[in-house]
Amino acid sequence: MQIPEKYLKQVEKPARYVGGEWGQTIKDKTKVDIRFAFCFPDTYEIGMSNLGIRILYDVLNDRADTWCERVYAPWTDMEKIMREQNIPLFALESGDPVKDFDFIGFTLQYELCYTNMLNMLHLAGVPIRTSDRTGTMPIVVCGGPCMYNAEPMADFIDLCIIGEGEEVMDELMTLYAAHKKAGFDRSAFLHDCAKIEGIYVPSLYDVAYHEDGTIASFTPRYDDIPVKIRKRIVKDMDKARFPDKLIMPYIDTVHDRIMLEVYRGCIRGCRFCQAGMIYRPIREKSPDVLCRQGKILADCTGYDEISLISLSISDYSHVDELTDKLLAWTNDRNISLSLPSLRADSFTKELMDKVSSIRTGGLTFAPEAGTQRLRDVINKNIEESDLMNACSVAFAGGKNQVKLYFMQGLPTETDEDLDGIHELCSRVIDCYYRTPGRPKRPPQVTISAACFIPKPFTPFQWEAQCDMDELARKQAYLEGRITDRKIKYHYHDAGVSRVEAVFARGNRKLCRAVEEAVSRGMTFDSWEEHFDYEKWMAVFRDLGIDPAFYANRVYGEDEILPWDNIDIGVTKEFLLRERHRAYEGKTTKNCRETCNGCGADKLGGERTCCPSLKK
Amino acid sequence: MLSEPEKIRVLFQKTGPLKFISHLDLDRTMKAAFLRARLPIKYTEGFNPHPKLVFSLPLSVGTASLCEFMDFRITEDIPKEEIRDRLNAAFPPDLRAIDVYTPETKFCEIGFASYDIVLHAPEADENTVSAIRAAFDAPMNVEKTGKGGTRTLDIAPLCRLLSCEKTEDGIALSLRLSSSETEFVNPRLPLDFLAAHIDALPDDGDYTVCRTAVYRADGVTEFR
Repeated sequence: MQIPEKYLKQVEKPARYVGGEWGQTIKDKTKVDIRFAFCFPDTYEIGMSNLGIRILYDVLNDRADTWCERVYAPWTDMEKIMREQNIPLFALESGDPVKDFDFIGFTLQYELCYTNMLNMLHLAGVPIRTSDRTGTMPIVVCGGPCMYNAEPMADFIDLCIIGEGEEVMDELMTLYAAHKKAGFDRSAFLHDCAKIEGIYVPSLYDVAYHEDGTIASFTPRYDDIPVKIRKRIVKDMDKARFPDKLIMPYIDTVHDRIMLEVYRGCIRGCRFCQAGMIYRPIREKSPDVLCRQGKILADCTGYDEISLISLSISDYSHVDELTDKLLAWTNDRNISLSLPSLRADSFTKELMDKVSSIRTGGLTFAPEAGTQRLRDVINKNIEESDLMNACSVAFAGGKNQVKLYFMQGLPTETDEDLDGIHELCSRVIDCYYRTPGRPKRPPQVTISAACFIPKPFTPFQWEAQCDMDELARKQAYLEGRITDRKIKYHYHDAGVSRVEAVFARGNRKLCRAVEEAVSRGMTFDSWEEHFDYEKWMAVFRDLGIDPAFYANRVYGEDEILPWDNIDIGVTKEFLLRERHRAYEGKTTKNCRETCNGCGADKLGGERTCCPSLKK
Repeated sequence: MLSEPEKIRVLFQKTGPLKFISHLDLDRTMKAAFLRARLPIKYTEGFNPHPKLVFSLPLSVGTASLCEFMDFRITEDIPKEEIRDRLNAAFPPDLRAIDVYTPETKFCEIGFASYDIVLHAPEADENTVSAIRAAFDAPMNVEKTGKGGTRTLDIAPLCRLLSCEKTEDGIALSLRLSSSETEFVNPRLPLDFLAAHIDALPDDGDYTVCRTAVYRADGVTEFR
C-alpha cells in the first residue's frame, strides 16, 4: 500500500488502490531478475474482469525469475491526488513505482483506452514515446485485440504481441533475462525480439505514404526480421496454461465469477465481426479438461457462478456433455452455470433448464439486423423463426424480458431494414402473447443498437462508416417508429463510434492525435461522462488530420492497409471474397458445415474443425 | 451430520488494506472464503441460496478492527479449532479468525466499543492534549444524520476518553463509545468535533482508527 491513508479516505472505492486480495502473488523482490507491471488502461473493476491478464499473470509469476504485478488506471479523483502529491503510478502488490520496473505491459482491448495508456505512462513518469525511452528505462509491451492494428499507437509501443501471449511472453522473458545478463543494450534487445514469432517492433519498420495519404510501403529496417508479422496461437488448448489460483477482488467487478474458457475461435463468419476472424482457427478444450479446471477454480476461488466463455457457446461441439458433467457437481455446491453468447438458433428448453437450475439472468440475443436480406449480407445466418422459437422457449420458461442486439449503419442498410428492427420486435411482443404458459406480466423488449464500425481483418474492413449526420438520422428514424412502450430503444453514441472507427482503421499519423488528446487532459474516453466528441474533433482539426479519411472513406481493395503487415492466418483474398458475397446477398456456411478456405488452418491447431488439421 | 445446525461465532480481525473495503464487500469476501474453506455451513433458503452470515457492528470504510464478530450455523460436527484453521487458510492475509466458539450472547447486548486513534498533528503539544481532555468534559454538539433527518446531538455523554497522549508527530487517544443499537456513535463524530474546535488537529482525515474491544451494556465486561 503506497498511498497514504488520508488520501485513500478522500476517494471513491479506495479498495481499488490497496491490493492485498486473496490469490495475489507476492515475491521477494531481491530474488527476482525481472519486474513486470501488467497494466490495464481502465479502472480496477474492469481490469480485474479480464481473463487474458489473469492467464498472463499466472504465466509470468510461474517463472522464478519474474514478478508480475497489477496496475490499473486510477480514477480521476485519485489521479488528481497523485499529481498534486507527486505520487507516481505504482503496482498494487508491492506498492513500488512502475517506472522502476523492467517491463510495463498493457493490454489494449478497445481503441478508446488509448488515451488512458499514455496517461498512465505519464503518471508513471516514463517517457511516452518509444524514441524517448533509452537505456534501462522500462520496455513497454502491448497485447490485446487492438494490436492487430497497432499503428495508431506505434510511436509509443516498444513491442506488440500479436495473437495469444501465453507462449510468447515466456520466450520474451527468457530473451530479456539473457540480454540483461550479457549487459543490456536496448536496440539489440528490440532487434532480437522482432525475430520471435508473434512480436512486432513498430520502431523497426518504416512506413511511406502516397500523396493521397494512403500507404506506399512498409519496410523492415533489418533483413533478418519478418516483413509480415504472423500472429501466435496456442495450438493445443488442453495444454494451454491455466491459472489454478485466481485473485479474488474485494469489490464488485464487471465479471465477478469463474470464467471457464471453452474454446477459441468461431465457426461463424459474421462479416462485421473482428473476433470471429482474428481468433481463428477454432480450437476446443475437451469436456473432461474443462470439468477438472472448473472444479479447481471453484475450490480456489469460492465463486458461486461459472461462466462458460467462448464466442458462441452453443457452437461448442460437446456443449451437452460439458454442461451435464459440470451440473453433476455444481448443483450440489450451489454453484450456478451461466452461458453468455447464446445464439438464437440454438436456444432450447433443455439448455435453458440447465442454465436456470439455480439462478437465471436476463436473456439476450443478437439478430444484428432487422431484415433477412441484411442478415444475409452480414452472414449472421439467423432466421426470424430461430429468434421466435428462442423467445417462445424463454417466455414459456417464465421470462417476460428479452434484450436484442442490433447494429445500425451496416453496409447496404436502408430505412426498410430499420423498419425491420421495429417490426421484428413487435413480432416478438406478439409471440409473447401467443405463448402458452407465459408469465402474467407485460413483456419488455429492449433494443440495444450499436453503430457499425468497420474493423481491420473483417470482410467489411474496406467499408465506410456512415457519417455522423446519417447515423443520427438513422437513430432518430428508428426512435420515431417505436411507439409501443413495451419496446425500449437504447443506442450507442454516434460520436464515440466514429472516434473508435477512426482509430480502428488508423495509421501512424494518428499517434500525434492520441498524444495531443492526453496533453489536453482527455482520458477515460470509453466512459460516457468523460468522452467529448467536440474535443476530439478539435484535436484532429488542430493537427490537420481528417477523421473522415479513416472513418468514412471506402478503402481501396488494392490499397495497402495499415494492418497489412500482420498475418492473422485468415487471408486478405478470403476477406475480399466474403465482401463480394455480401454485396451479392450470399451467405457462407459455417466452418463445421464446410471449409471456406479462410487460410487460418496454416497456423495449426488441435481439436479444430479445419479439415486439413484433422488426423 | 447434526440434527440441528449448530450456531458458531467467529471473533476476527480486519486490518491492513482490508480496512478499505466496505461492509458489503466484507460480506462477499467472507462468503467466498467459506466456500474455499468447504465448511458445511447453513445456506439461506430460497431462490438464491448463499451462506448465511450475521455480523455484529459494521465498520466504517477506513477503520481497522481487532474484534469483529460473525455468526453462522454449521451442519456437521467439526472441532472449533479446525473451523478456525480452515477459515484462516481461506482468508486473505489481513483477515484473521482469532477464536471460534459457541455464542452465549446476542449482538443486541453490545453496549460499547473502544477505539485506538492516532492523529497526525505535527503542531500538537501538551496544550492540545489538555484541550482534547477538556472537550470531553463539556457538551459536544454534533450534527447526526439518521433516518429522521439531521439533528443536533450532544455526544459527550456517549463518549469516554480513556487516554490521550502526545506522540512524536501527533496525538494518540483511546475512546470508548456507545455502540448500542439505539445509540451508536461512529468514531468520526468526536474526531470531526475535535478537528473543528482544536486548531492543531487535522481536518483532512489524516488519522487512523482501530476498534480494539467491544463491551456489554455495563461498559466493563468484554462482549463475547
